[in-house]
Amino acid sequence: MRLKIKVADGVIMEILTVKAIRDAIAEGTVTAEEVTKNCLAHIDAEDPKIGAFLEVFHTRALEKAREIDAMKARGDVLPRLAGVPVAIKDNMLLMGEKASAGSKILQDYTAAYSATVVARLEEAGAVIVGRTNMDEFAMGSSTETSAFQKTRNPWDTSRIPGGSSGGSCAAVAAGFVAAALGTDTGGSIRQPAALCGIVGMKPTYGRVSRYGVVALASSLDQVGPFTHTVEDAMLVMEVIEGRDERDATSVELESKPVAELLEPTMMGLRVGVPKEYFIDGMDPEVRARIEEAIAVFKANGAEIIDISLPLSPYALPTYYIIQPAEASSNLARFDGMRYGTRAPGTLEDSYLTARSEGFGLEVKRRIMLGSFILSAGYYDAFYKKSLAVRNALRKEFDEAFKRVDVIISPTTPGTAWKLGEKFDDPIAMYLADVFTTPANIAGLPGISIPCGFANKLPVGLQLQAKPFDELTMYKAAAAYQALTDWHTQTPSLVV
Amino acid sequence: MWADLTLRRTQGGENLFTLRAMDINLDHVAKLAKLRLTDAEKETLGRQLPSIVEYIAKLQEVDTSGIDPKAYLTDATNVFRPDVPSTEQAERDAAVAAFPKSAGDALEVPGVFT
Repeated sequence: MRLKIKVADGVIMEILTVKAIRDAIAEGTVTAEEVTKNCLAHIDAEDPKIGAFLEVFHTRALEKAREIDAMKARGDVLPRLAGVPVAIKDNMLLMGEKASAGSKILQDYTAAYSATVVARLEEAGAVIVGRTNMDEFAMGSSTETSAFQKTRNPWDTSRIPGGSSGGSCAAVAAGFVAAALGTDTGGSIRQPAALCGIVGMKPTYGRVSRYGVVALASSLDQVGPFTHTVEDAMLVMEVIEGRDERDATSVELESKPVAELLEPTMMGLRVGVPKEYFIDGMDPEVRARIEEAIAVFKANGAEIIDISLPLSPYALPTYYIIQPAEASSNLARFDGMRYGTRAPGTLEDSYLTARSEGFGLEVKRRIMLGSFILSAGYYDAFYKKSLAVRNALRKEFDEAFKRVDVIISPTTPGTAWKLGEKFDDPIAMYLADVFTTPANIAGLPGISIPCGFANKLPVGLQLQAKPFDELTMYKAAAAYQALTDWHTQTPSLVV
Repeated sequence: MWADLTLRRTQGGENLFTLRAMDINLDHVAKLAKLRLTDAEKETLGRQLPSIVEYIAKLQEVDTSGIDPKAYLTDATNVFRPDVPSTEQAERDAAVAAFPKSAGDALEVPGVFT
């Protein structure tokens, strides 16, 4: 976040991180109210160029900030994220506020309760400043399928920010907030993070509760943070992760990595480089940046090990079976009966009208695909087969992680493309997620960190680790950030 | 390899996955999906769905003999919690207030049989 504060000697310091904001408030250098006012003014002035936010919660945010200042004045112990402005993706419920999942069918829906991740952020003192744009129901890789607006990449506003969590990602990349939450079903946090030059993390499946998050594909969805640094991602994760009785897939964690205790290192780290992630047709500049990043690991004590993950190329087609199948089931609940707009006519007519008028084309495409896949005669050949490939893919990763601690790769095969460029070609759009879907299919944690630029556009380096071994992934990613300064570079558009 | 959309087609024997536009009955699938498609949507989806299906049919290349299909990859099974209402009154009130049509605090819906 571009927060300019005066420090004791009269120098103006610009701070970007969750940690710096939190510490400045705790130390009394600034008040939470000043931070929030600065943040809101910045969004109001600059977001029209970017389109990251669907709604900014001015009143709510300032009230929360004043609460934090009152706690500080009373001498209370401040919670972990006290006064830190955070944005949430539009598919996360915050009681009393709208949540539309980027869809017309939910445009008037007001949340009747808060998502666990959002409630945990608020308990930790974070100031929720607004809800961000996204692909409709998180179906998309460019944020262009939103029913409401386009979001632009802060590095080049003629280009997409990636998706589906493009609004949350652009909000952090543009310096509006230091952290934002997104959801990652096939790459929807890591892919935009790579295209916008920030950190984006997908936790292990089961690490974070999805209660109160609009479901896309329930066996794949995870919530995770966008930040500038690995340390900040950890600070957010500490707050949102852990068992929640209201999400049966969330697990009791044996231990939680603590940001302040992390010892970043690559010494002795076994880094697997899978040949399948370096493909013909990928942007040669992207490839060059990844190879340079691998060289950094090698020069600083990591052991680079060539590996092969032959099933990885099948992760994307597996994804485009499991995800539409689950989405077509999950989205069956949107029928205008219990909330939203009730369409007139008989029950069947009412369903058909509400859904046909409420959903956009990409959503219809995936509901149709999912319904086809699950229909009689195709279920075994597609859906059941995909579940077997999924298990095989996981076993292949399990074998690889006997030899290596982390797997390193590009996050995406190319850089951010122009708005509209792939909009009418679904498969070209889907291919933007080829390197990110394996982690969702296999349930692994993955993180994208900035590793340079290709033709002036950011490039992301992806690290994947074995399930629930986020700690190893954090250590390696934080060590890379300690040795490089890509994450401190910010787009010049918005100052 | 990742972007290769051509299927390895079996020589001779039955090949279920050489789909043409006519092989996906859009009206039937739309009925299952509870969608009413416009002519323009039918035209677009009629063109796009077969190529997507052809792409996902690549999975037939993978030998999965002896591998169990798994819907979830966590070890958790039969996760229970006590069967007691835990919704707060304010949440209940907000949910009721959101009903598009209500009779008292009950949700009013069109009849299933008319």
